[in-house]
Amino acid sequence: MNSAFIIGQYIPGESFIHRLDPRTKISLIFFFVIFVFFANSVLSYALLTIFSFLVALSTKIKPSFIIKGLTPVWFLIIFTFTIHLIVTQEGEVLYRILGFPIYSGALIQGFSISLRFFLLILFTSLLTLTTTPIEITDAIESLLNPLKKIRLPVHELALMMSISLRFIPTLMQETDKISKAQASRGVDFRSGSLKSRVEAVIPLLVPLFISAFKRAEELAMAMEARGYRGGEGRTKLRELKIRKLDYLAMILFSLVIAGMFLLRK
Amino acid sequence: MKKATKQSSRLLKLIILALFGTISMVLMFLNFPLPFLPPYLKIDFSDVPALIAGILFTPIAGVAVEGIKNLLYLIYTGAGDPIGVIANFTAGTLFVLPVAIIYHRMKSAKNLLTGLIVGTVAMAFGMGILNYLVILPAYSLFMGWESMSSTVKLSTVMVGILPFNLIKGIIVAMLFIPLFSKLKPWLDRKRLSFQT
Repeated sequence: MNSAFIIGQYIPGESFIHRLDPRTKISLIFFFVIFVFFANSVLSYALLTIFSFLVALSTKIKPSFIIKGLTPVWFLIIFTFTIHLIVTQEGEVLYRILGFPIYSGALIQGFSISLRFFLLILFTSLLTLTTTPIEITDAIESLLNPLKKIRLPVHELALMMSISLRFIPTLMQETDKISKAQASRGVDFRSGSLKSRVEAVIPLLVPLFISAFKRAEELAMAMEARGYRGGEGRTKLRELKIRKLDYLAMILFSLVIAGMFLLRK
Repeated sequence: MKKATKQSSRLLKLIILALFGTISMVLMFLNFPLPFLPPYLKIDFSDVPALIAGILFTPIAGVAVEGIKNLLYLIYTGAGDPIGVIANFTAGTLFVLPVAIIYHRMKSAKNLLTGLIVGTVAMAFGMGILNYLVILPAYSLFMGWESMSSTVKLSTVMVGILPFNLIKGIIVAMLFIPLFSKLKPWLDRKRLSFQT
């Protein structure tokens, strides 16, 4: 439960990327994830890398923050690279480390795959860094709207998502408070056999569930008192709007992707 | 008048499911790895809220809680590992659905136990098969490993995925039975207020 998690990953800012419509961001990232797999030459990779770095720079978020957000995946990237060095046997032998041959093909392949992976993670994490969770939910609701035709309860899903997001910090604090309260009564969460550790979770969960019910009842009553009656005809405080900026971003993105296809082998 | 009550109990259900999804996501972070399995297979109790939702309302409600949990996780941590999130959702659904479906046929302690056993088996074997056919190949595509040989995949499934999901199911069941018996009298009183 560190504080970095409680506020999520969002870092407030006024940059070009921050001001884009969240729907634009989500769709462009979706296409980026697909098109990254088409890059296959040095130049096409270079173009995508430069593009990603420029986008990352333009958010004006300190690089150290972005790198910190990537910590959980560094391990995976290095792991992938190592696996490639060991397994792939193409090209000529470049070095021998402790008698173990390193092939040039392995180096190239390991590097390009790790780079691809890195770009994917970098680009998707830019979304959560520059967009509030609530904006993301609004965007998902709006993008899924056509699915209402097949009777998917899009509005209800989005409502549930925004309520859940709103209560993450609250319920985290509550979990923390209850576990401290129970620890002060002698419950040991951290040591003991597997069975005793599992049993120690029960006095944490019971109050958590019961207070969730109480909160839900209060919230439902409050919403109805303010006239909530489902999604139809509901007006919004934050309206999503596609502006010139978004068209500009789309054009730029298409140019980069077109360039990438030209530079392919 | 009747319509108004129906509407408000529906809203209350939605909110309860949303809060259960949040609890589920919070519980996901209180995980611990098992001593004898690889670190990426971690035990957590995030399926417990989904089980309660599935039993209290409908099987689909349980699936909804699993869905919210994973979406929240995706939004909060960034899409570093989308395949893992989808795998977690599938595993949770495979576990929760049988429990809820069997329990709703006849609401008894015996059916709950049968459901938990069926759910554990369904999750373990379902995830074993899915890992072999879909998830591991998807990972190797995502990471650019030249497709894994079927022996590697089979041994990963037999040594890692299958025992892990069995143990996870057993541990969650071990927690869920005493928890549910403690919550049940309270839930029964609540249930009355939903069904008016």
